Amino acid sequence: MMTDADRIYKINQEFVSNGESELVGLSPSLLPVTLREEFTEVEQATLIFDLSIFSSVMVDAGQGNQEESKFAYVDEYFYDVFDFELIVGQKKGILSQPNQLVLTESTADRLFGSVSSAEGKSLKVDGKDYLVTGVMQDFPSTSHMEFDFLASFKTHRGSREPQWSPSNYYNYVKVKPGADMAQFKSNLDQMVDKYLGSDMDEYGFQTAFFAQPLTSIHLGDPTLTPFKPGTEVKYLYIFGVVAILLITIGIINYVNLATAEATERNKEVGLRKVMGAGRMQLFGQFVSESILLSCGAILLSTFILYLIAIPFENFGGVPLNFELLFSPVGMTGLLGLALIVGLLAGFYPSMILSQMQPLKALGNKMKIGSGAWVRKSLVVFQFFVSMGLLISTFVVKNQLNFMQEVNLGYDKEQVVVLNYHYNMREAIPTLRDEMVRSGTAISISRAAAMPHDVKGTYKIFPGGDNDREFFITGYAADPDLIRTINLELLEGQNYSESDPLRSSLKDENSRMPILLNESAIAEMGWTAKEAIGKRVNVGFTSNALVKGVIKDFYFNSLHKKVGPMVIFNDPDEANVLLIKLRAGNPTANLATIETVWKKLVPDRPFNPKFLDQEYASLYQSEQNVSLIFSLFAGIAVFIALMGLFGLVSYVALRRTREISIRKVLGATQGDVLQVLSVDFLKLLAISALLAIGFGIWFSNSWLEAFANRTVLSIWPFVIAILSVMVLAVFTIGYRSWKVFRLNPATTLKSE
Amino acid sequence: MIQLKNLDKFIESRFQRVFILKGINLTINEGEFITLMGPSGAGKSTLLNILGLLDEDYEGDYSFGERGIKTMKERERSALYKSEFGYIFQAYHLIDELTVYENIETPLLYRNVPSSERKSIIANLMDRFNMVAKKDLFPAQLSGGQQQLVGIARAVAGRPRILLADEPTGNLHSGQAKEIMEIFQELHREGTTIIQATHARENADFGTRLINMLDGKIERDEAI
Repeated sequence: MMTDADRIYKINQEFVSNGESELVGLSPSLLPVTLREEFTEVEQATLIFDLSIFSSVMVDAGQGNQEESKFAYVDEYFYDVFDFELIVGQKKGILSQPNQLVLTESTADRLFGSVSSAEGKSLKVDGKDYLVTGVMQDFPSTSHMEFDFLASFKTHRGSREPQWSPSNYYNYVKVKPGADMAQFKSNLDQMVDKYLGSDMDEYGFQTAFFAQPLTSIHLGDPTLTPFKPGTEVKYLYIFGVVAILLITIGIINYVNLATAEATERNKEVGLRKVMGAGRMQLFGQFVSESILLSCGAILLSTFILYLIAIPFENFGGVPLNFELLFSPVGMTGLLGLALIVGLLAGFYPSMILSQMQPLKALGNKMKIGSGAWVRKSLVVFQFFVSMGLLISTFVVKNQLNFMQEVNLGYDKEQVVVLNYHYNMREAIPTLRDEMVRSGTAISISRAAAMPHDVKGTYKIFPGGDNDREFFITGYAADPDLIRTINLELLEGQNYSESDPLRSSLKDENSRMPILLNESAIAEMGWTAKEAIGKRVNVGFTSNALVKGVIKDFYFNSLHKKVGPMVIFNDPDEANVLLIKLRAGNPTANLATIETVWKKLVPDRPFNPKFLDQEYASLYQSEQNVSLIFSLFAGIAVFIALMGLFGLVSYVALRRTREISIRKVLGATQGDVLQVLSVDFLKLLAISALLAIGFGIWFSNSWLEAFANRTVLSIWPFVIAILSVMVLAVFTIGYRSWKVFRLNPATTLKSE
Repeated sequence: MIQLKNLDKFIESRFQRVFILKGINLTINEGEFITLMGPSGAGKSTLLNILGLLDEDYEGDYSFGERGIKTMKERERSALYKSEFGYIFQAYHLIDELTVYENIETPLLYRNVPSSERKSIIANLMDRFNMVAKKDLFPAQLSGGQQQLVGIARAVAGRPRILLADEPTGNLHSGQAKEIMEIFQELHREGTTIIQATHARENADFGTRLINMLDGKIERDEAI
């Protein structure tokens, strides 16, 4: 745990205009300066500029250019706020001069072979020289930050004259011990009034700052989580609940079988009592048996977990943290768990066993009646949980498949994505033409982002022919975008080569052409036909002209509905190349493209990705959830079936005589199976009804999070319930087959 | 109809075999009324078990009609139970969870006898045995003799071709015992083959053939 973590806060910012509010995790560069100088309760404040928001960098450590994405600028106060260890270098004054760089341990190993040889070396980042002044420990996996390079913010031109806008930085404060956070908040509000009051009045917006505790970032609002994705709290709760359910099912098995077996042990109990054992002593004996079992189980499960840790991490995407498990806290927790489970499981059966009347016990004529009703409800519960989990798994999977296969409004197949650096942009047209000429690419477009991940908020202001005001997403691209990813142009025309670029239009009354999507024009109350030629104020541009309307496509995750979008003719803002491959062998085509790239820009790394794979990774967390759910559901079903097997064995044992009689009377294997299973199947039917109820509730809640969802289908329910029933019947059938095989002569002894 | 050839049943222990049945050769024709007699341990019940297909653990040949029992599949044997044999156990072996009515009904259910026919068969039997009032009682609520009657009713309800009875009158007083033997006789007249094992000499008189057993072997086999 980071030292003083409870005193560290991240500052987030809210923008409100025209009734719409937006919360972002970024804030301006003047903020930490002001906090440091004017707030007495602030011990220190630091700024982080995460370059990967914008693009990757080219790092040359002597072996040529390498593309690096974990690069950030931090100011000189970074190590005052965050207590990371410096392996090489002094914390005082580090990163206080321009062109200074701190590497993480593994980066130093990677680039220079070892930590010690990294110190004092220089390397080039995007052509600029930097001196390595320090090496720090790797960011721990429990930290929400993950960088390879930390450069001094003084290098960046944004540090020279800090402003209140733009909000491009992550700012953190460490408050003094005992600071009053309510007072801090009100001081923040006063600061806003003082420095931004007149701007807010003039431009008609409001803004405010909020402090978010460092410790709440990882599990907090995902839109505010910087650097690396956090985890949604709801998943933790879900898995926690499921784990408890699984343990419960296991306990139920124990209770059922132990009480059923009670009748077998009553002779032992009777004898013990006759020899002088008291009820409490017997109770203690039986409870300690179950606690011992429980302890054994914990040992076994820890061992198994250790063995499967690595495959599990690859499979489910979740690393298992053994340090936590083996810490004193963890071990106490495990022991406590063993005790609690053993106690819970053993309590009821021990009560039953120790209360048996000695005479009745020795007489050996105990009915199964004791606790039969309890056992039945427990079985119902077990199978309810199994079926419920299976149904949930199928629902999650269905939604996942839906999201993979839904019509996104554009084609992502056979599209290669190449990141390129701003400095390369002059080479791009030549690159483009060569690739097309090589015959491997049908169409190539420059864009600011991959089409499923477009950020960049702009605003439509009242003016021109429009009187509405709303936020709109802006997508910088070129005239080839539509062709490359097969967007549908509903009305009007696409950009042509002769259209002016946005970057070249300085004039406010520029009549800059723009493309809007259906949602945008609907927001302004126009049909597609009506919209063509209308004038619109977007961002800082007044009187832009609507040149064309495109059909909506999903430019963000399917969690949200499609919002309004404007596509700018602005290839200078782009840093992604989208290449639509010609049909045929993708590997061969890719190789040809690589050749062209290497020929024209040999010092730039070639890191191709496929658009459909990148898209799929958007739903990585859902995939992980789905896999883990399947695993849990499988385990639940298995445990419940084992319990059923035990119970059926026990019942078959008790009814052996009856089964033999029936056999003599002419019953077939099927008749016997029927006799044994009817009771259990009734219980399972109740479980099924309950599971259906649960399943409906779960589906509705889960799918609520998605603006775009599958229709609730009957198949998850049918498949889940039927498969559990069939497995149950097989379990019972197997057991009854064994009893059926017995010789009636051996089973029907004279009484 | 039934033929036993060189039938042996033994228990292996260490270096010796203890024979429960040794060298049984027996032919049973349709329509016979056979009584097996002999002291305790002679092997009467064992032989009856084997005849009734309750015991498959023996050496030698057991043919039913043209078929060898050991070569039959499970399903064929099950069919034999249904169509050919009715078994009366010495220990009654009623199903405790079923009422008297349901106990007698069970073999009929397995023979797919339609509902109305079942009702009338059971009604007749219970009337015959004076058990109508006990229709809905459970075996635990009946005396030994009454349980035996139910067992007998159950065995004959399905009109088996062969009735096997192991000490059928063990717990009955003489009046009831006579009644039962008369039922047997009536069934015999209707064509049922009956094989009973008993200690009681007077029961043997109802039969057509008497087989005496001793120490697992057939001592004497004569018609009466």
